[in-house]
Amino acid sequence: MSKSVISYFVIFLVLLLIQVLICNNIMLFGVATPVIFIFIILRLPMDTPVKIVMTVAFLSGLLVDIFSDTPGVNALACTILSVLRKPIYFMYIGKDENLAGASPSVSSLGVPLFLKYLFSMVLIYCTLEIGLEFFTFISIKRMLLIISASTLLSFILLIGVDSITVSKTVH
Amino acid sequence: MLFIVFVLVSCILLFSGNLYQQSVYLTSANAVSSGIYGVSHGITGYFNLRSINEDLQLRNATLENEVLNLKNEISYLKTVIPLDSVEAERLQAHRFEFIMATVINNSVHRPRNYFTVNKGYDDGIRPGMGVVSQNGIAGIVNVTGKHTSRIISLLNVTQHFSVKVKGTNYVGSLEWKEGNPATAYVAEMPRHVKYHVGDTIVTSGYSTTFPEGIPVGVILSQVKTADDNFFTLKIRLASDFNELSTVRIIKDEYKNELDSLTNFDVAQ
Repeated sequence: MSKSVISYFVIFLVLLLIQVLICNNIMLFGVATPVIFIFIILRLPMDTPVKIVMTVAFLSGLLVDIFSDTPGVNALACTILSVLRKPIYFMYIGKDENLAGASPSVSSLGVPLFLKYLFSMVLIYCTLEIGLEFFTFISIKRMLLIISASTLLSFILLIGVDSITVSKTVH
Repeated sequence: MLFIVFVLVSCILLFSGNLYQQSVYLTSANAVSSGIYGVSHGITGYFNLRSINEDLQLRNATLENEVLNLKNEISYLKTVIPLDSVEAERLQAHRFEFIMATVINNSVHRPRNYFTVNKGYDDGIRPGMGVVSQNGIAGIVNVTGKHTSRIISLLNVTQHFSVKVKGTNYVGSLEWKEGNPATAYVAEMPRHVKYHVGDTIVTSGYSTTFPEGIPVGVILSQVKTADDNFFTLKIRLASDFNELSTVRIIKDEYKNELDSLTNFDVAQ
């Protein structure tokens, strides 16, 4: 147990650093900024108490906010994401009891289920985050473009993150 | 319950939005984040040195030219006017002082961009001071820590600057719109004046933040606006915000005096 807590913590810190030092400086084609630090919120086992997931989510959002001078944006988006996590997960896996407490990844859910879950979560997050930050400053058309481009880029990168971290968190 | 607390805290942070009263701990200028940014800058700081150097050489050449012209002018004036009458002008030159600082973190892609520098309160930096790069104006000091400060970048939709066309007294308001870090807009320019593409825009000097005449950019085109009484000009910014490295922070020795005058006026 404690070993997995430490490994989650290490992933959390590494992703946070990559986010604030590298990803935040990327704006691919002027529209796409990758978000990868939310991976920890997606990956925590489904039987983790909601309160813990929510606290982890809020704190990680707050940290990214402090580093990137966007007060409240990521903290709010992460908190909402952490609450929507379970409903979305169970919407895709249905009543399969073997998966009820799993830690979502390609190896535990299989490719199609995991990709559906991952994409929905990333889309929700990007919509919230970009909506909160850019709202009233740019046209709806450009905002939708930024949301879809960022979702796509983050989705692809998170598949990569999943394949790198999978061996460390499966027990 | 916990959810409500978290959402509430986020919303307070999100909507408080008072740019000048934020606690330094909640900004990129706090000790931990500026420490991490400092280490990362130690590695990435070398990347753009070649083009920054070219900019500096160019600016150096322009300034050297200007110094020569001024020297000529002074030596000519000395022959025409007695020396003691230029004393007042000389005092003016000592009004502004520059503090050099290094940019350790910078963003250009958000609607509200900020950058962080490695000098702070202990180095004499105070909120409200102007910040210029080697090419032109860059922003205004927002929050200061002990040895770090957060600067509101010129690329921030909530921050406006008072600017004018060089050599004239036509003053307008510099605004940036999300998207392109290389261009900005000057609004509220009087309509009866003819503006030329390529004309230089400089700071107006109507505040204690920037002295008059610091380069801002050059006019690219004229933009149609809903308001019939004013023109809006699109300009190319002089500073390259993708490559901000060393900046100068402007300390105005008259600031306290001028501010107390303004307050005196309000109190009456």
